[in-house]
Amino acid sequence: MSTPTPNPEPAHGLWSRGPLPSNAQVGADTVILGDQPFKRFHSKQPAALALGTKCTMDGVHFAVGPEGRVKIGDFCYFTNVVLLCELEVLIGNYVMIGWNSTIADTDFHPLAPAERIADAIACSPLANGRKRPAIACRPVVIEDDVWIGPNVTILKGVRIGQGAFIEAGSLVTRDMPPRAHVLGNPAQVVGQVE
Amino acid sequence: MNPDRSIPDDWYPGNVPENVTVHPDAYLESSYSFELFRSQTPEAIRIGRGSSIYQGVMFDLGKKAQVRIGEFSLMNGGRIICESDIEVGDYCLISWSVVLMDSYRVPQSPAARRRQLEAVGESSPRQLNAPAEARPIRIGNNVWIGFESCVLPGVSIGEGSVVGARSVVTEDIPPFSVAVGNPARVIRKLTPDEAKPPV
Repeated sequence: MSTPTPNPEPAHGLWSRGPLPSNAQVGADTVILGDQPFKRFHSKQPAALALGTKCTMDGVHFAVGPEGRVKIGDFCYFTNVVLLCELEVLIGNYVMIGWNSTIADTDFHPLAPAERIADAIACSPLANGRKRPAIACRPVVIEDDVWIGPNVTILKGVRIGQGAFIEAGSLVTRDMPPRAHVLGNPAQVVGQVE
Repeated sequence: MNPDRSIPDDWYPGNVPENVTVHPDAYLESSYSFELFRSQTPEAIRIGRGSSIYQGVMFDLGKKAQVRIGEFSLMNGGRIICESDIEVGDYCLISWSVVLMDSYRVPQSPAARRRQLEAVGESSPRQLNAPAEARPIRIGNNVWIGFESCVLPGVSIGEGSVVGARSVVTEDIPPFSVAVGNPARVIRKLTPDEAKPPV
């Protein structure tokens, strides 16, 4: 048996802890930095993560559920972003996402109180094989050239149009048109990118 | 700080940059705070007497950045994104994951941003190196900023004011105000007389 290498040099891209999941594709000159980017990567899909070329994924967490698929274009630059995907997250080319921002395509738990009790039991150590109830999920789409600042949250079902500028700290609950200047909680269009 | 500019009991194997002045009676928890430090100004950071900078704080400073932190101020995590000047007064309390940014680092125009992102994709280490537009931030004395708030470029916050958790400060806040919300609005005033001067 050969001695395990603590940080094996991968064929494509770089990631600092552990191997790249077999159902993840990473384009040329894309780097994945930071601790345990795939710690919560549980997707069973054949193309669970498709990451383009020349991207910088610094401290990004790919928290992808069994059914989840994430597609990210070329020249994207994310800093300490948490991607929570149970269904589908599509991100275009030239997208920047700032520090400590979160994108989620799911509600995580049901809204109805009784179903939430069932979910709490199904998530517990006493689940005994019980299945979790259905949870609302809708794809998130972020088009090309979108800029997203630090401390931003993007919720399920949101489409952000090409070239939109999402200010720091925004909480985006609805679709945003192309080249919109967006701010607030809930996020509102406050202007237009020139 | 040790004579070789390392920090006692630091988990991170780094040093405090030469152009950072830390008062002997200030507390700096980890050299990890300087991992993104790129400033080349003669005195890029000055941390005053009695101030505490805990390890979650990240000094993400560009080449021309200058940061001034007064006396008895406390920063418990958060990110200082600086390309020009950020000044924090005395007796300030700045909570976790607060972002103080004097620059967006990139232009709003998508076409100009594309060229920068193409350059990032080819740089090593990966970072934005183009000169950026910036507007200084001033945080007055005795200001308290709640967790996960953001202070946007060009903003000044007056003495004695409080910013509620998760607020986004887009415009100046006058002294002795309580501001909350995203975007932040002043919801009440504080009486300066109530504020007893610290001993």
